[in-house]
Amino acid sequence: MNEILKILLVLIGAPIVGCLIAGLDRKITSRLQHRVGPPLLQPYYDVMKLLQKDNIVVNKSQNLYVVIYIIFVVLSLLMLVFEADILMIIFVYTISSVALIVGGMSTGSPYARIGSSREIMAILSYEPILILYAVAIYILTGTFNLSALDEASNPLLLYIPFIFVSMLVVMNIKFKKSPFDYSTSHHAHQELVKGMFTEYSGPGLAGIEIGHFYEYVFLLGLMFVFWKVNILMGLILAVIAFLFVLVMDNITARVYWQWMVKTSWTVLLIISVVNVLYLYVYDIKIV
Amino acid sequence: MMEKTVMLLITVPILFSLLFLALSKKLYKFIAWAFFLFGVIFSVQLVLDGIGKYEIAGPNFAMIENIVLVLEALVILYIFYVSVKYKNWPTLGLIVIQTAISIYSFMNIAEVESASFNIDQLSQVMILIVNIVGTAIILFATGYMDEYEEHRHLNRQRTFYFTMSFFIAAMNGLVLVDTLGWLYLFWELTTLCSFVLISYNMDEEGINNGFRALALNMVGGIAFSVAIIRFSGSDIVNLSQVVGTPGGVILLPVFLLCIAGFAKSAQMPFHSWLLGAMVAPTPVSALLHSSTMVNAGVYVIVRLVPAYAGTPLGTAIAVYGSFTFVICSALAVSQRNAKRVLAYSTIANLGLIIGSAGIGTPLAVSAAIMLILFHAISKALLFLCTGEIEHTIGSRDIEDMSGLIKKAPLLTMLASLGMISMLLPPFGVLLTKWISLEAAASNPIVTILIVLGSALTTVYYVKWLGTILSSSMDKKTTTHLKLETYFPLSVLGLSIIATSILLFSIFNYFVNPVVATLLGTGPTISGQGGQFVSEIGGFAYGAVFIVLVLAILIYYAAKMAIAPRQVDNIYMCGENNLDKDKLMFRNGLCSYDKSSVSNIYMENTFGESKLSTIGYVISILIIIIALAGGVL
Repeated sequence: MNEILKILLVLIGAPIVGCLIAGLDRKITSRLQHRVGPPLLQPYYDVMKLLQKDNIVVNKSQNLYVVIYIIFVVLSLLMLVFEADILMIIFVYTISSVALIVGGMSTGSPYARIGSSREIMAILSYEPILILYAVAIYILTGTFNLSALDEASNPLLLYIPFIFVSMLVVMNIKFKKSPFDYSTSHHAHQELVKGMFTEYSGPGLAGIEIGHFYEYVFLLGLMFVFWKVNILMGLILAVIAFLFVLVMDNITARVYWQWMVKTSWTVLLIISVVNVLYLYVYDIKIV
Repeated sequence: MMEKTVMLLITVPILFSLLFLALSKKLYKFIAWAFFLFGVIFSVQLVLDGIGKYEIAGPNFAMIENIVLVLEALVILYIFYVSVKYKNWPTLGLIVIQTAISIYSFMNIAEVESASFNIDQLSQVMILIVNIVGTAIILFATGYMDEYEEHRHLNRQRTFYFTMSFFIAAMNGLVLVDTLGWLYLFWELTTLCSFVLISYNMDEEGINNGFRALALNMVGGIAFSVAIIRFSGSDIVNLSQVVGTPGGVILLPVFLLCIAGFAKSAQMPFHSWLLGAMVAPTPVSALLHSSTMVNAGVYVIVRLVPAYAGTPLGTAIAVYGSFTFVICSALAVSQRNAKRVLAYSTIANLGLIIGSAGIGTPLAVSAAIMLILFHAISKALLFLCTGEIEHTIGSRDIEDMSGLIKKAPLLTMLASLGMISMLLPPFGVLLTKWISLEAAASNPIVTILIVLGSALTTVYYVKWLGTILSSSMDKKTTTHLKLETYFPLSVLGLSIIATSILLFSIFNYFVNPVVATLLGTGPTISGQGGQFVSEIGGFAYGAVFIVLVLAILIYYAAKMAIAPRQVDNIYMCGENNLDKDKLMFRNGLCSYDKSSVSNIYMENTFGESKLSTIGYVISILIIIIALAGGVL
C-alpha cells in the first residue's frame, strides 16, 4: 500500500517539481539578464498550450520515441526512489537518452540529425562518469544497491568529491545548458534551429517537455544521493547543483562538441579515475 | 542415447556437405531446410540427453585414431600444397614448423588408449549455437549466394556449401570432444575451412586475406600443439584434466592454449585476419564471426578458467581482454563500412568475454558464458541483415543506409532489434555487461576499461541505429520477401527476444552448473520477480520488458486519442523544393541543393591509422608481461 502511494507520489509529484524547476530556471535567468521574465508557471502554460495543438508529424512513428523516452525516464526515477541497483538505473536511463536521439534522427531533418549526432557525442562524454559514479558507490558499500547507503555513517560526498565535481559538469550536459547546448536548446540557434527536436510540435513536443520535468528531478536526485544520509543536506546539494547549472548557463558561451569530449575524457575522467583508485587502494568502506 | 546423438552431430553435417557436393544447385534449398531441421532437432536432443562423459576404447578407438592421424596428415599436406601453389612463404615456413612438431609428438608422446567425449552444459550451449545459428546461416545463404555470384561472375557454390557444412561438423566435434589430440584436429580443420571460405572469391585480395587468416591461426595452432606436448609431460591428455589440476607447472601450456584461443578469437595482435575475412560473402562472415570460428577460441579459454582463476595470469588475461574491448570499440567508432563496424564489435565483445573469464570469479565466468550465447545470436542477425541490406541498396556504407526503414521495413526492424539487443536493457548482452562490471569492480583497471568500452559501444551502435531508422524522402520501394532470407532472420530475431525473456532459466539450467564444476562454487543468483539478483545488485529485466510493452500500448492509445495526424514536410527554413525532394533547399544563388548530414566518425582520434599501432604494441606488451609475470 505504502509503495503504491510512493509510486503515485512520484508520478504526480515529480512533474510538478520539475515544472517548478524549469520555471525557476527561466525566472532566475531572466533576472540575471535584467529582464522581468515569464511567470513561474510558464512551462506549465507552454505544455498545456502545446497539448491543444494539432498533431503534425513528418514521420508517422516519430512520437513512439517520445513515449519511450518519457516512460523510461519515469522508470529510472522510480528505481532511484526505490533505491534499486544504481548501475541498472543508469542503463535504463540510457534507453531514454537513446530514444530521444533516434527519435530526432527518425524525422530525417538535417537539423535534427546534426543535433542527434552531437547528442551521441554527449553520451560519449558523460556515460563513463555516470558509471564510475556507480562503481565508486560499489567500492564504498560493497553493493550497487542504493539502499545500502542508508546505513552509511558518512555522506558519499566526503569520499568522492572529485566525482561530485565531474557530476556537476554532467548535470550541465544533461540539462542541455550552455556551454553544452549544442544538440538542442531552449533558445533558438541559427545553425541548429531546435536541433534534435526541430520536427516535434504540438503534443509530441509537449511529451518531450513533460519528460524533461521528470528528467530534471531524476538528475537532481542523482546529486541528492551524494548526501543521502541527511535529507536536508541532500536537498541542499541538489539545489547547489541546480544553481551551478544556472550560473554556468548564464556566464558561458557555447563550445564545440569536440571541446566537451576532450575535457570530459581528459580532466573529468582522470579526476574521477583518481578518485576511484584512491578508494580502491586505501580500501575505504562506509558501511 | 547420448553417444548416438554425439556421433550423429559430427557425422551428419559431413553427410550434408557431401550431399551439397553431389546434388545439383536446384536442390540446395531443400538440403538447407533439411539441414536446419536436423540442427534444431539434434541440438535440442543433445540437451534432452543430459550431461555425461563417455569413452571410446578398444578396436573402435584404434580405427578412429587412425582416421584422425590420416586427416591430420591431409590437413598438413593441403596447406603445403596451397602455400607452394600461391607462393606464400610465411605460411610455408609455419607449416614446416608445424610438421616438425607433429612428427616430434608422434614419435615421443606415449600412445593414448582411449578418447573421451565430455558433454556438459557448456558443450550443450555451444552445440545449440552452432547447430541452430549455423544452419540458419546456411539457409540464409541459399537465398543470397545466387545474386552474389551473379554480380561477381563466380560459380563456386559447390565448394561453398561443402565447406560451410564441413565447418559445422568440425565445430561440433571441437565442442564435444575432450581429448586434446582430437580437439587439435578439429581446431585445425576449422582453420582450414576458414581459409577456403575467406579466399572464396579467388581474387588477389581474397587469397591474401585467406592466407593471413591461415598464417595467424597456424601460429595459434603451433602454440596448441606445443601445449599438448607439455601437457603430456604431466600426464594430461584431456581438457577436463586441466580443469582438475591445480596451477603451478601446467601454467605454461595453459598460457599457450590461451594464445591459441586469442588467435582463433581474433584478439589483438591477431585481429587482422578477422577484418580481412570481410571480403568473403556475408554468410561466411556471419558463420565465422558469430557462431563458430571465433567462439572456438573463447570456448577453450573459458574451459581453462580453473587453471588460471585467481592467479596473476588470470589478472593479465582480464586486463588483456578488456583492453581489446576498449581499443576495438574505439576503432569501430571510426568506421563507415558496416561490416567493419561489426567486425570490430565482434573482436571487442570477444575481448569482453575473455576479460570476464580472466577475472575468474563465479559471477564473471557466468557473464563470459552468457555473453558467448547472446553475442552469437545478435551478431549473426546483424551480419545477415547487413548482407541483405547490401543486396537491397547496393552499399554497405552506413551513410547510404539512411531511409532504409522506408525501403525495407521488416529488414530494418530486425536489424534494429539486433543493434538494440547489443546495447540496451533488457536484452542479454547488456545483462552480461552489467554482470562483468559488477564482477570487475574488484579490479579497478579492468573496470575502467570496460566503462570506457561500453560508452564507445553505445556511440557506434546508436549512430547506425539512428541512420537506418531515419526516414528519407525517397519513394517507397517494395522488396521481394524471400522465405529463405527472412525465415532465418526472423528465427534469430525471435531467439533474441526469447533468450532475453528466459534469461534466468537459461542461467539456472546451463550456466550455473558449468560455473559450479569449473570453479567449485556457482554464483549466488536468485531470480524472483523478473529480476536477476546477485549478492551485489539486481538486474531488473522483467520491469524493463513490462515497461517497454506499456510504452508501445500507450503510444497506440495516444495515437487514437490525439488524431487526426497530418504528415508534413520537414522544416528547411522555408526554402523547401517541394516537387523534387523534400531535402532540397534553395541556396543563395537561387538554384537548388540537396542537404546532407553525415554522422560523426572522429577519424582523427579513433581512426585505424591512429589506434592500430598502439593496439599492437600494448597488446603484445600485455602478453609478454603475462608470460613473464604470470607463468615463468
